Amino acid sequence: MAVNIALAGNPNSGKTTLFNALTGSNQFVGNWPGVTVEKKEGKLKGTKEVMIVDLPGIYSLSPYTLEEVVARNYLLKDHPDAILNIVDGTNLERNLYLTTQLLELGIPVLVAINMADVMEKTGDQLNLVQLQKELNCPVVMISALKQTGIKEAAQQAVALANRSRIETAYGQFDERVEKTLERLAALLPQTIPAAQKRFYAIKLFERDRKILADLPEIPAAESIIASLESELEEDAESIITNERYLWISSMLERCYLRKKQSSLSVSDRIDLIVTNRWLALPIFIAVMALVYAVAMGNWSISIGTHGTEWTNDVLFGEIVPNAVDSLLNSLKVSSWLSGLIQDGIVAGVGAVLGFVPQMLVLFLLLCILEDIGYMARIAFIMDRIFRRFGLSGKSFIPMLVATGCGVPGIMASRTVEQDRDRKMTIMTTGFIPCGAKMPIIGLFAGALFENAWWVATSAYFIGVAAVILSGIILKKFRIFAGDPAPFVMELPAYHIPSLQNVLRGTWERGWSFIKRAGTVILVSSIVLWFLQGYGFVDGVFQSVEDNNHSLLALIGNTFAWVFYPIGWVGDMAWKATVATFTGLIAKEEVVNTFGVLYHYAGELSETGEEIWSLVQADFSGLTAYSFMIFNLLCAPCFAAMGAIRREMNNAKWTIGAIGYMCGFAYGISLIVYQLGGLLLKEVQFNFFTIVAIILLGGLLFLLFRPYREGKTLEIRIKTAKRD
Amino acid sequence: MMPLTMAEAGAVNSIRRIGGKEETRKFLKSLGFVEGSKIILLSRHGGNVIVRIKDSRIAISREMANKILIG
Repeated sequence: MAVNIALAGNPNSGKTTLFNALTGSNQFVGNWPGVTVEKKEGKLKGTKEVMIVDLPGIYSLSPYTLEEVVARNYLLKDHPDAILNIVDGTNLERNLYLTTQLLELGIPVLVAINMADVMEKTGDQLNLVQLQKELNCPVVMISALKQTGIKEAAQQAVALANRSRIETAYGQFDERVEKTLERLAALLPQTIPAAQKRFYAIKLFERDRKILADLPEIPAAESIIASLESELEEDAESIITNERYLWISSMLERCYLRKKQSSLSVSDRIDLIVTNRWLALPIFIAVMALVYAVAMGNWSISIGTHGTEWTNDVLFGEIVPNAVDSLLNSLKVSSWLSGLIQDGIVAGVGAVLGFVPQMLVLFLLLCILEDIGYMARIAFIMDRIFRRFGLSGKSFIPMLVATGCGVPGIMASRTVEQDRDRKMTIMTTGFIPCGAKMPIIGLFAGALFENAWWVATSAYFIGVAAVILSGIILKKFRIFAGDPAPFVMELPAYHIPSLQNVLRGTWERGWSFIKRAGTVILVSSIVLWFLQGYGFVDGVFQSVEDNNHSLLALIGNTFAWVFYPIGWVGDMAWKATVATFTGLIAKEEVVNTFGVLYHYAGELSETGEEIWSLVQADFSGLTAYSFMIFNLLCAPCFAAMGAIRREMNNAKWTIGAIGYMCGFAYGISLIVYQLGGLLLKEVQFNFFTIVAIILLGGLLFLLFRPYREGKTLEIRIKTAKRD
Repeated sequence: MMPLTMAEAGAVNSIRRIGGKEETRKFLKSLGFVEGSKIILLSRHGGNVIVRIKDSRIAISREMANKILIG
């Protein structure tokens, strides 16, 4: 018989470590249905039928965060056979708050007190027998990090799952509260199993609409609830919360003996420096600079860059093409097929896989920072700055990752809890110039601006400015109105990172990046290869030598007019259009495409030095800059769009986000080209000059229009009534 | 009674009242912010604060910290 065990616990309680230790490599990662909260399942090591389901880290079972709703729905609807509740032994009072709620569900619970090793060190004493009696459920001590006691805990949970009789704990709440709950339980429909009566009675008392909506009918209990509320002079939810904490503290008084500790723990002392009002920012900048230097920089310590160079120059420059070449020759495949495989697939996928070493190093460092506990501090430090333009401090990490690659950056937006803030983060993260956009900047900075320092700098500045402007502007729209959710975040105790957690986290993120290269990019590489190599010559469809006749050129010419207002005119128009299209596959394709379109036969260097003179002949400084801005800000590559779709989990929002990015890019390019051109006397005053002025005016209006607070739904209803 | 932002660093205080939006108040409660519980201000970062409550460190933005009354 298959057994499902749900693993539940607070964030930072060691849940992930325990899950990894219990399941090893037998893990499946997916999403909870309908939401973008990650769902992890795994088979218990050494068994075939025991499935451990890792619930999101939660502080309670109330319906206020996505994670809580997901966990609650799973526990109530999928009804696992047992719950393994991991409890941080160094923070019992808060962790047991969730336990008191889990015990009401009518599912057997095993409480595993984690960090037994730390408790032993500090000399705290916990009377397990007494605690078991108080909670009316089995309790064990474990150390997830040192992997002690976890096997026994798992076995005991399985044994519990197979037991038919369910013992549920009944909290020792205040007598008046207990009486009221009894009366409410009696009102509940008969269909509710006895073991869950208490849970539903409490939810009825708390007026929890989400739970009650699942009942066939909602019992009329308002008078009972209201009478106790007025008697205790508190609202129903506060009454229950207080009762739970009272129960926990009275329980701990009887079975928990604490050694007196010094007032400041080691973590507190580190925080005094790391989050110090003067030192926090310099330390943060130093840490980030180091991460960036090691992963993406251009120095001898830059492991990531060396790996990427090796992958590009050696692995996908020589080894793989040569191996494929000899394989294809020995199989005697036709020339078009070998062209497809070599120029299409190997070159296209290789271009993307080249980023993997940099990504892996970046992820590794970020995972270490996360496991140490520094990430939470970063969010805290950045919150004050990000809040000014309507984003939360938690939005910083996605943007940091996006300087490497937008795909994991967008995926990292999951850490932003509030829906509205998360959507804004997803929409703006793509503006950050990622690694693949660097060659575009390199090409034009070299070809037209003699590598002037301000070109590359301004490219970064434009990306950051786009984030800030969007943050401020989007907030003026009703959907995004309202302050970012108040920043409340637990700062976990610092600890030495666990190798297993770090490697696993790095691999998970890296793998989803690689997988995308294997799917989206593979397909689009094939399509691009086809469009580039085939076309109509004299009305006959055939493979073409001169790619001016290719289908790609046809497409470019068809759509080039769209970009006329932003200065893509003359000979460069279709080339720029095509390059923009291929940039959708992967941004580094932009430079490659120019190489192909300018008939450069040999191997192109990263920034395309070989074609600088040709580019210079076609582009003016202004059109080059307009092209650069558009390509830096417009829709990201397909892989990133896929990530946006996955994180938004909604077609309308996905289209909205990508549409916004394109529109924003177009608008800024138009303003820069038309107004810049007028100043430089490159462009005559024309219809689009007026459009540019209107756009600029609109932008400034949105930017400086006073922000009107409180356009939320509830308030609108209220004012409507008053009218 | 005074807002949490005005607390003296290191001093032990009690939470008297929590204001603000319903959602945030509920979240704070599950983190252990209930009336009567002890709270210690550990550090300030330009109005934002880090406090210790029930053995954990929680960072709170100024807007929220202003709505937590202690005494």
